[in-house]
Amino acid sequence: MKTFVCIKQVPDTSEAEVKVDSSGKAVDASRFSFDINDADNYAVEAAVQIKEAHEGTVTVVSMGPQSSDVMIRMAMAKGGDDAMRIEDSRINAVDPLSVAKVLAASIKDKEFDLVLTGCMASDDGHMSVGVAMAEELGVPHVSMVKDIEVLGDGKIKASRELEGGLMEVVEVTLPAVITIQTGINEPRYAPIRGIRQAQKKELSVLSLDDLGVPADQVDESASQIILNKLYVPEVVSAAEFIEGEPEEKAEKLASILIKGGHV
Amino acid sequence: MWGMKMSVENMTFTEQFDLLGCIQCGRCTAGCPVTVRTNLNPRRIVNDCYNEELLDELSRLPEVWDCSACHTCAVRCPKGLKPVEVLFGLRNLLVESGKVEPTVRDALESTFLEGNPWGKARATRYDWMEGLDVKIADPEQEVENLFFVCCTIAYDPRVQMVAQNMVKLLNKYEVDYAFLGEEESCCASEILALGEKELFEEAAEGNVELFNEFKTKRIVTLSPHCLTAFKKYEGLNAEVIHYTQLLAELVEDGTIDLSTELNEKIVYHDPCFLGKQNDIFDEPRAILKSVPGVEFQEFNRSRERSLCCEGGGGKMWAETESKAERLAETRIKNAKELDATVVAVACPFCVLTLDDAVKALGHEEEMRVAEIMELLGELL
Repeated sequence: MKTFVCIKQVPDTSEAEVKVDSSGKAVDASRFSFDINDADNYAVEAAVQIKEAHEGTVTVVSMGPQSSDVMIRMAMAKGGDDAMRIEDSRINAVDPLSVAKVLAASIKDKEFDLVLTGCMASDDGHMSVGVAMAEELGVPHVSMVKDIEVLGDGKIKASRELEGGLMEVVEVTLPAVITIQTGINEPRYAPIRGIRQAQKKELSVLSLDDLGVPADQVDESASQIILNKLYVPEVVSAAEFIEGEPEEKAEKLASILIKGGHV
Repeated sequence: MWGMKMSVENMTFTEQFDLLGCIQCGRCTAGCPVTVRTNLNPRRIVNDCYNEELLDELSRLPEVWDCSACHTCAVRCPKGLKPVEVLFGLRNLLVESGKVEPTVRDALESTFLEGNPWGKARATRYDWMEGLDVKIADPEQEVENLFFVCCTIAYDPRVQMVAQNMVKLLNKYEVDYAFLGEEESCCASEILALGEKELFEEAAEGNVELFNEFKTKRIVTLSPHCLTAFKKYEGLNAEVIHYTQLLAELVEDGTIDLSTELNEKIVYHDPCFLGKQNDIFDEPRAILKSVPGVEFQEFNRSRERSLCCEGGGGKMWAETESKAERLAETRIKNAKELDATVVAVACPFCVLTLDDAVKALGHEEEMRVAEIMELLGELL
């Protein structure tokens, strides 16, 4: 089984205040920590588990700056055999279709059975790259996958998590793109010894020219999505707690609703 | 000593931990405080580890993660062995396989990526300094006391005051000091206990290089865990001491004037990493006893016999499954029997575990846990 796993470095916005930088189109990331996107981490583990059970190779792919190399090496320490990092300032990275084109271009001429990636990136939340990549590669996709069973006849069975916890089980012919939902497994730890050993594995850094992708197909001029602005919504109201006995509470609530013209 | 960079690659597990030196006297298990609430049996583990074929199986025993690294076993061992480090060695086997609990994984990854085990951004490490006039170390300028803050004190709002009050006190009494800038990174004490020896060694190398850039006679740690870790480092140019040693010295020579009254019945809890592991028993007591109004008390189990709070040994990230009474709760019950109003400690982990125990037992009205710096801050 030849597997490619696409991962992205994202900021952890939970520990520091999110501020928009002076361009108005990006977040001031100076106080954030960065790590692998959560769902992508589960995709790496899924890829490694498939390799352990069915042999084959795992290639890690990421589009991003040099600082992503740590995350890539960690994925390689867990079981990735080699890696590609694509970096080119001409790519309109806010457009998921452009990103999908670039990632697909790095994979399409190679032999592959599975392309795994997280179902969603925690920073922009488009949930589109994996699915669009399947289109670019001309292969089927299964999204939001919580379980994978390799059937052995060039097919896999994948369970998709739907609303209300409902599971949909589908069979898909390989090659295919699978977008992984968090919780499919428990991602392992990449020990430092493994990260050091992973330094010896091949990590190629590629530009659009290396991939043979004309810049005018993935730059801002080619994009159907243009980022206009980012802003932090203004807090305009606060929650009000109604105190008192049940009868008093009901009366106060009714009064608020009536006075506010809500009923 | 396990954790020091040395060639152990070609040594067997038995050789690394000198297991054949063990005479199976059982003093380790008899003294181990967590045996009352978990299945941990250090004597048995040391015995079973002779059989290297069993190591993988042993490393998967849940009780391997119950050890809080208090070092009672090492203190009591008549052969000078350290059963606690055998447990770290077993943890190391699991860490190397990558299959550790998610909480342990996250703490290790955070230390590797951001220099702290708490999942916080490196860039926010010095937020605790806001509004304070802190002297930052300059490699060109000699300084007598170079302070190291500790990740928990830097990030946890409950214990940030240890550093904040220290700055206020040093400024007030014009002590020659400096804190490290944003380069400060985890001492990796708990990382070693969690079994990630390679990450500890990497942290040690980085910290030795960082410290040696500065001209200082001594490094002063705010946490006894950092003190213990630094003492394992090789190549540090400066002496390492705990802040209670510095303050006891400054109180003794009259630099610090503790004349404001503090009317409290204080019982002092010896942190394992300060007492058992560094023989620092008298200095914290001297500081507390020098404050007028303080009625000083001792636990029955004090000094070398102090009961562990279970905050060390990486236990902040590896919860014990046992539902039996936590040792911190036993400790607080003992303090209640003494009618103490304050349980004083000199370790951020002890503050957190004992604080939880006070809340769990519902004693918040009558008693509080306070770091010594918290009490001194009230006197400034």
